[in-house]
Amino acid sequence: MSAIIVQLLVSGLLLGGIYALISIGLTLIFGVSRIKNFAHGDFVMVGMYLTYVLNSWSGLDSYLVLLIVTPLMFLFGLFLSWAIIRPIQGAPQVAQIFATVGLGLVLQNVTLMIFGGDFRTTASVFAGKVLRIGDIALPAPLLIAFAVAMAVVAVIYLFLKTSYTGKAMRAVAQDRRSASLMSIDVKGIDLFTFGLGTACAGLTGALLAPMFPVYPTVGINLVLIAFVVVVLGGLGSIAGALIGGLAIGLIETLSGFFIGSEMRQMAYFLVFLAVLLLRPAGLFGQRGSEKLGA
Amino acid sequence: MTLTSLLAPYWPTRKGLLLSLAMVAVLVALPLIAADSYTLHFVWKVLFWALAAAAWNIAGGYAGQFSLGHAAFFGLGAYGSTLLYMHFGLSPWIGMFVGAGAAVAFATLIGALTLRLQGPFFALASIAFAEVLRIAIVNWRSFTGGAEGLSLPFDPSFANMMFSDRLWYVYIMMAALLIVLLITYVLERSWIGYALAAMRENEEAAEALGVDTVRAKLFSIGLSALLSAIAGTLYANYILLIEPSTVLSIGFSVEIALIAIIGGMGTPLGPILGAVLIVPLSEYLRAEFAGSLQGLYLLVYGALLIVMVIVMPLGLMSAIREPRTAARRLRGVFGGSSRRRPVREESRHA
Repeated sequence: MSAIIVQLLVSGLLLGGIYALISIGLTLIFGVSRIKNFAHGDFVMVGMYLTYVLNSWSGLDSYLVLLIVTPLMFLFGLFLSWAIIRPIQGAPQVAQIFATVGLGLVLQNVTLMIFGGDFRTTASVFAGKVLRIGDIALPAPLLIAFAVAMAVVAVIYLFLKTSYTGKAMRAVAQDRRSASLMSIDVKGIDLFTFGLGTACAGLTGALLAPMFPVYPTVGINLVLIAFVVVVLGGLGSIAGALIGGLAIGLIETLSGFFIGSEMRQMAYFLVFLAVLLLRPAGLFGQRGSEKLGA
Repeated sequence: MTLTSLLAPYWPTRKGLLLSLAMVAVLVALPLIAADSYTLHFVWKVLFWALAAAAWNIAGGYAGQFSLGHAAFFGLGAYGSTLLYMHFGLSPWIGMFVGAGAAVAFATLIGALTLRLQGPFFALASIAFAEVLRIAIVNWRSFTGGAEGLSLPFDPSFANMMFSDRLWYVYIMMAALLIVLLITYVLERSWIGYALAAMRENEEAAEALGVDTVRAKLFSIGLSALLSAIAGTLYANYILLIEPSTVLSIGFSVEIALIAIIGGMGTPLGPILGAVLIVPLSEYLRAEFAGSLQGLYLLVYGALLIVMVIVMPLGLMSAIREPRTAARRLRGVFGGSSRRRPVREESRHA
């Protein structure tokens, strides 16, 4: 029994690392630009399809393709930020919510038109490989995804703390007006942040592709999980996204085992609602920060 | 105070009255002119989406509660009346109100729990509540039919709310839409309507002016849920098949909201205008590109939604009411001039 518990805890944490990576993009975009990106899960989906296409077209392993997918997604994010996000900055709330909802619909249905609704699997030498430590089985793609996710989280954290651009992003997150008075290019920071967030989502997609089949609406669930994580951890908080991601991964895995696999989603939605109601600023968010975006 | 003076604020302007009468006349005459079953189905669809969007409009448009979980209320209506009919033989005419009662209770729960949440967070919470309901219904297989849904046995009679002649369905839907339209008109001109508008524009200022925002929120979402649930029952008894993957899905909630937004939120006729434009478009796209390009209509929906909320966040009705403001906005977005002139309406919904 104890081996099962350890196995569940380890699997939950590994899964949670991936959730953290999706959520960091979302929380960055929210924290810096105050944009609630309802299409974030669809960015992950686009990343998965890009990986699938490049992998089956060139035959390169999906972990090599990842090095192409991530910068491509960064550019894609820059374009979307310029075309859709820039016009809704400071626009009425309805625009802020429904522009990205519409973007999600467009992305889902463009991929549906190109690829159809079938499940597609991406090939990799690591797919299906399992590392065994004692009684505990660690699927290699999950382990790689977790390691990459943690590395990226650490890099982003250091980037925000030490680099000029990172400091500028934090300044914009604190106060857009004051930041612009300090001659920070706020619009440029918005653009870059959205690109960075999109690249994180795309990278997650590339890491997920060898593990899970991709289909056009795979992002809907992911964006909900990401929002649960971000709200749980505190909006705009990197540490919150990391800890929230790990927590949701654990909750999903444990409730799936003890209550039943169909109840997994129910469990994290209930956690989500509980957090929204009891502490809407999240575990690591400042009180009142949930009102900032409104 | 005489009855006329009491009713005076609700009395429509002559233009409004003529417009409504013309609309009713067209709708009443239409099924009589073109009575083939495809046309009737088409008219039903337009009316149905107009009804669902008009119900959303009361919470989303008038009170600024941007729900993305209205499928839950709709589903409670559809499942409520259908389950009562299939398990207990209760007429859907009565079941409709039981389902609506369940939807109001659910809406009150959501409303009470999310009072502090604003805009996007309310939208997220409404998705989460709707998803919890969907998962519960999918997993309670013995009673709800699970993921396969429920298929109503066709047994036409007035008591069963099933008819061999589609004209009946069209007229029932029409009556429901007119009732909702009437409710919306009265709401708009009553003190509740003003309270809702004040809350939508600025919650704190409204509170300072003595608006009970708690009651206003609960009232708007409750009424909206009630009407959505009735739409659900009418849908179930016409389509005769309810599946969680359609009637309880996020996609369904988004479509309802999208029609109201494109038509014009916070106006009585906006949702109808939205349905009149969007439903034929989707029918055309689906018929023309069926099979070869599935999903095209949703792609167009999404693109329209993006363009609309950026260019005309108050919907097409605002362009009809104030064409000059809309034209100025259009020039502002597409003209490329960096200095956008202040637009009076921009503060709405902000």
